[in-house]
Amino acid sequence: MTALKPLLRYTHDFAATTHAVWLREVLRMLRDSGQIVGAFSRPVLWVMIFGIGLTPYFRTGLRETTFMVPFTYIQFILPAVVVLNLMYPAIQSAVSLIWDREFGFSREVFASPTPRSAIFLGKLAGGTTIAMAQGLLVMILLPAANVPVSYTSMLAALLPMVAVALAFTAIGLLLASRMSSFQGFGVFANTLILPAFFLASSIFPLDPSLSMEQALQSFPAWLVFLVHANPVTYAIDELRWAMLGYRQFDPVTARAVLSAFVLIPIALAYHAFRR
Amino acid sequence: MDNAAVIEVSDLRHSYSSVEALRGVSFSVPKGSFFALLGPNGAGKTTLVHALCTLLRPSGGNVSVAGLDVRRAPRAVRRSLGLVFQEASLDDRLTVFENLIFHARIYQVPRRERRRRAWEVLALVELEQWANAPVSDLSRGMKRRLEIGRAMLHEPTLVVLDEPTTGLDVQSRRRIWEYLERLQKDHGVTLLLTTHQISEAEGADWVAIIDQGRLQALDHPAKLRQGIGGKLINLQIGDDAFRQALSERFPGKCKQRDSVIQIEAEDPDSLLRELVADEQQWRMVDSLEVVDPSLEDVFINLTGRELRDRTINLSR
Repeated sequence: MTALKPLLRYTHDFAATTHAVWLREVLRMLRDSGQIVGAFSRPVLWVMIFGIGLTPYFRTGLRETTFMVPFTYIQFILPAVVVLNLMYPAIQSAVSLIWDREFGFSREVFASPTPRSAIFLGKLAGGTTIAMAQGLLVMILLPAANVPVSYTSMLAALLPMVAVALAFTAIGLLLASRMSSFQGFGVFANTLILPAFFLASSIFPLDPSLSMEQALQSFPAWLVFLVHANPVTYAIDELRWAMLGYRQFDPVTARAVLSAFVLIPIALAYHAFRR
Repeated sequence: MDNAAVIEVSDLRHSYSSVEALRGVSFSVPKGSFFALLGPNGAGKTTLVHALCTLLRPSGGNVSVAGLDVRRAPRAVRRSLGLVFQEASLDDRLTVFENLIFHARIYQVPRRERRRRAWEVLALVELEQWANAPVSDLSRGMKRRLEIGRAMLHEPTLVVLDEPTTGLDVQSRRRIWEYLERLQKDHGVTLLLTTHQISEAEGADWVAIIDQGRLQALDHPAKLRQGIGGKLINLQIGDDAFRQALSERFPGKCKQRDSVIQIEAEDPDSLLRELVADEQQWRMVDSLEVVDPSLEDVFINLTGRELRDRTINLSR
């Protein structure tokens, strides 16, 4: 038993630090009115304006469609908007790392007797929590979008949501570990988020009933390739499956890609953070 | 090892690529003392402090804090240290109290004691009314006080302050000195302070003068001043020949700047009597001043330079 004591003590200290860092991230977010406004306005903008506006064109299409997505456009993009509302705050949370370096708070943290891994874990958990809160906020729009809600569908939605939140928080931490300016980080984050979002079959479907050859006839090859290569594609697909029972891609591939998409950025970010 | 020493530094060396920041520094700091590290900017003070608080791995030599080797037990060393950095290190978006609780958590203060200790240190630095204010509302002096209080939160044996009063107004400075005195007297904390301001070192128990990575002197401030001997006489004399004559009469005891000649005099009375007696000489003296030597004079004496901000020559 005595041999266990230092281990228990270490675990306790580790947990206390992780908790402290996590809580700080969450408190900082709650005091950032800009973030809160963004968290509300982003989904409203996408769902209520973009979604409603494009719904009439969705089924009939401006060109011949070979298949029918059995949902309205609002329903189709809602899971994607959830992912978008996860991506922004997750990446954004890592700005605190640059902020801390700039304003000296990192000295307080890094000169303390806590292990760096606990600080990293706290940051990762903090960013993920903030992102999850904003992602779940989009669910307020479920009735307006006419998406049926059930406990099981909500629970099933949590897993792909956490995956996106973790992955993008880790990507943010990786970027922030290597960047020194806020502006640089902001520009970089935006140039990453928007293409990753648009190239994920988020706002337009790739026809799943088509073979690859047929898909290449209706869309340019680079687009088909990029959508398939983009991990966010599979996150949105998983979420659509959970919320609407509709998917366009192979579930095994989707889950494999998502697992790698969570683990690799975390490993890279941790490596960058330890330096 | 001396049991009463909180810090033991022996032959500490450190280089940044081609620049030698520390070239073999040794000293020890007795428990409960107020130890000032005095030197110009770029003397190696911050490097020394960073080696002490395990933020930097020195290239050579040994440092131990509270009997613990900084290389072998960095986490235990960190726990026994309270740090006040040269630049601010608070989270502006959190409140004063939240900053303290955060610190208590990452320094492993037991949960039951966190709030009590936070209130105690707030009382110590007289910031109780500001407990729930965001740190961004605090003035610079108040932030510094909060940082000093925070450094005490986990009851360290040693508090290290790197240039703590830089950029503060006189009033804030005075207050901070009061707190530091109280820490040392009432709480028995050992204080190590770096400064490039002479006046801040005057009140210390021990002063180590550091320049160009080497320790130039280490003693009580009074002893250091005594080392210069007696008094300093400043004479303003317009006549070049007379000044020249004086400096030849007291070789190695005179310094000149413009028309002022400063003479180190162990027995100032007899020298003054001699000056006044010769009426012709006395008429050439425009002004006369007898002063106690300051640490600044000690510094100039040791290094041949003044302790002002100077540009460091990195190619050296």
